[in-house]
Amino acid sequence: MSALDPLLQRPDLWRGDRGPVTARPGVQTGQPALDRLLAGGGWPRGAVTEVLADRLATGGLGLLLPALAAMAADGRWVTFVAPPFVPYPPALATAGLDLGRLLSVRAPSQGAKLWALEQVLRSGVCGAALAWPEVPGAVALRRLQLAAEAGDALAVLFLPSVAAAQPSPAALRLGVEAVADGWTLAVLKQRGGWPAGPLRLRA
Amino acid sequence: MGQWLALHLPWLPLDLLGDGVGAPLVVTERVGGRTVVRLANAAARRQGVVPGLGLGGARALCAGLGVRERDPAREREAVGRLAGWAWQFTSQVSLEADALLLEVGRSRRLFGGTEALLRRIREGLDALGFRCVAFVAPTAEGALVLARHGVAGGAWDIDDLRRQLAALPLAGLPIDERARRALHDAGLRRLGQVLALPRPELGRRAGTTLLDWIDRLLGAAPDPRPPFEPPASYRGRLELAAEVGTTEALLFPARRLLHELAGFLAGRQLGAARLDWRLAHAGRPPTCFGIGLAGPGRDAEGFLALLRERLQRLALPAPVREIALAAEDLVPFAGRPLALLDGRVVDRCSGLLERLRARLGEDAVSGYRLVADHRPERSYAICAPGEASAGLRFPARPLWLLPEAEPMAVRDGRPWRGGPLDLAGERERIASGWWDDGGVARDYFVAVTPAGERLWVYRDLATGRWFLHGLFG
Repeated sequence: MSALDPLLQRPDLWRGDRGPVTARPGVQTGQPALDRLLAGGGWPRGAVTEVLADRLATGGLGLLLPALAAMAADGRWVTFVAPPFVPYPPALATAGLDLGRLLSVRAPSQGAKLWALEQVLRSGVCGAALAWPEVPGAVALRRLQLAAEAGDALAVLFLPSVAAAQPSPAALRLGVEAVADGWTLAVLKQRGGWPAGPLRLRA
Repeated sequence: MGQWLALHLPWLPLDLLGDGVGAPLVVTERVGGRTVVRLANAAARRQGVVPGLGLGGARALCAGLGVRERDPAREREAVGRLAGWAWQFTSQVSLEADALLLEVGRSRRLFGGTEALLRRIREGLDALGFRCVAFVAPTAEGALVLARHGVAGGAWDIDDLRRQLAALPLAGLPIDERARRALHDAGLRRLGQVLALPRPELGRRAGTTLLDWIDRLLGAAPDPRPPFEPPASYRGRLELAAEVGTTEALLFPARRLLHELAGFLAGRQLGAARLDWRLAHAGRPPTCFGIGLAGPGRDAEGFLALLRERLQRLALPAPVREIALAAEDLVPFAGRPLALLDGRVVDRCSGLLERLRARLGEDAVSGYRLVADHRPERSYAICAPGEASAGLRFPARPLWLLPEAEPMAVRDGRPWRGGPLDLAGERERIASGWWDDGGVARDYFVAVTPAGERLWVYRDLATGRWFLHGLFG
C-alpha cells in the first residue's frame, strides 16, 4: 500500500483521470456558446452561482434574463433581493419576463439580505433568486447552497471581482466584463467541469 | 386642493344595451304625452334617425329599428355599479344621475400619475362597455360642468379652470330660473361674462344661490359630496338589445358584468367564491345556475373561462332577454389573480410572503407592473406581487433605472464619465405629462463610455443639462 492510497480514498479528492462528474442538466442560458462551457449545459440548478464583475452596469443581469424568463414561464417566482437600483420593468418585460411572477424584496442590511435570500431559496416556489450582497463568508455561502438545493432554485450572487480571491462552495463562478456590444465571460470555476473561456457574447 | 375627475356618461341608456350590437337601436322617452327618440346609435343615425324625432317618424325612416324605453331605475343601478367598480381607484367616489365624481388627488401617485390613472379608467370603462367624457379639475363642480358640456381634458389650476369655464354658454348650466332670466335680460350669454362681473352687483341681480354655486365652482367655498359606500355584495344585470338564442352570444354581455365584478372586488379587497347567474326569458321562469370556485378569485377573464365551460353544458329552453350576475359569497382576498394558479404553489408562496413581511416590514415585498406612461420613471409602478401587467411595448430600455436621474459632468459640451461619451446612437425624444406636475421634455441617448459601459442618458430640453438615468446590464 503506497502513501498515495489513503489519499485516493478521500471523496473530496477529484481525480483527473475520471473526467468531470456528470452534472444535473442546467437551466439553459439562452446562449448556446455559454451552455457548451457549463458542466450541466446551463446555469446549475439547486446551487449557488457567483457572477463577479466590477461595475454594476457590467453586472451581467442581462445574461440571466433568458433563464429567468423561462423560470417565470414555468410558473415559478423570480425574486430580486435588495437590487441596487430599480430593475427596470419595461426592459424586463421586453426580455420576456412575466412581471406577474416577479418579487422584489427590500432588505436593509447584509444580514437581512442573506436571511431573505435563504428564505426565498428554501421556499420551493422560487425558480431563481438574485442578490447583490457584500461578499458573504464561507458559512453563509454554505447555508445558501443548502437552501438552493432544498428549494431546487437557481441562486445568483452578484459580487465584486475581489471575491475571486476567496474560496467558495459555489457551484459556478463566472467572471463578467462588459464590452461595447455584449460581454466577455470566463468560467473561473465550476463543480463537475473545467474553468473555461474567455468567451465573447453579444447582448 | 384636491383633484376631481368627472366621468360623464352621455350614452348610458344605449351603452346599457351594448349599443345595439350593430343593429339600429333607439332609446325613447315620454315628453308631453309623445314618445320621442332620446338617443340613437350609429346604425340608426345613418338612416336619419336623430334625437328628438317622434317614434313614428323614426320607424318610418328605419325598418327593423330596435326600440327600448328609457329605464331610469336601470340607469341608477348601473351608475351605482360603476361607482362600486371605480372604488378600486379611490375611496372618494360620489354619484350623479349621469356621472361619477372621483377624488383622485391622493390616488394618482399610486397609479403612476393622473394621465396613467385616467388611461386606466378609460380602458376599464371601455371594457365595461361605457363611453364617457372625462375632465379633471381642482373642483368637483368645475370638473362636472365641463364634462357635462362634452369637454374632455383637464385644468391645471383654478385660473386654468376659470379660463375653460368662461367659454360655456349659460343655457345648459345648473343655475336657478330666476338667475338665468336676470342674466339673460342683462345681455349675458357666456359664463365668462358672468364671472367677470363684480360680486356685489352679481349678487344683487341674480341672487346668492348663484354666488354660492360660483364659489363652489371655483373652489372659494367647500363643496362636500355625499360619499358613495359600496354595497356588501355584487349584483348586476344587463338587458340584451336583442333576444339571444345561443350561449356563445351570452359571453359578451357576461364579460361586461364580470369586469364590473372584478373591479368591485379589487376595490373591496375581496374575492368571490361563488358566482350565481340568472338568464331571463320571455314568459317562462329564468334559467339559474351557480359556479363555485376552488378558491376565492377576482379575475374577470378567469371567471369568463369558467362560464364558457358551464354554458357548453347548458341547453337554453328559450331565447334570453336579460343576463344577471350575483356574487354574495365574498371573502377577504389580498393577493391578486393568484387564485387561478395551482393552489399548492399559491399557498406556499403566500407563506413565504408572510414570513418576509413579518420580519422585513409590510411593504418590503412587492411586485412591478407596467404603466402606460411615456415618462420612463412613471412607466412602471410598484404593486402587490402577482398583479398581471398590461401588454405594453417599449423601445430599447436599460435594465437598471436610477431611482433619481443623476446630473452628469459636461466637458466641451459633451457629457463625460471617465471620458467623453459616445452619443452616436439613435435619439429618442420623450415629451409627456403636460397636466400633472411631472411634465418632461427630454432627448434620450444610449451612450457608451470609453470603458465600454452602456448608459442611458438624457438632455433636459428645458435646461440643456445632461442626466444619467439608466444602465444597460
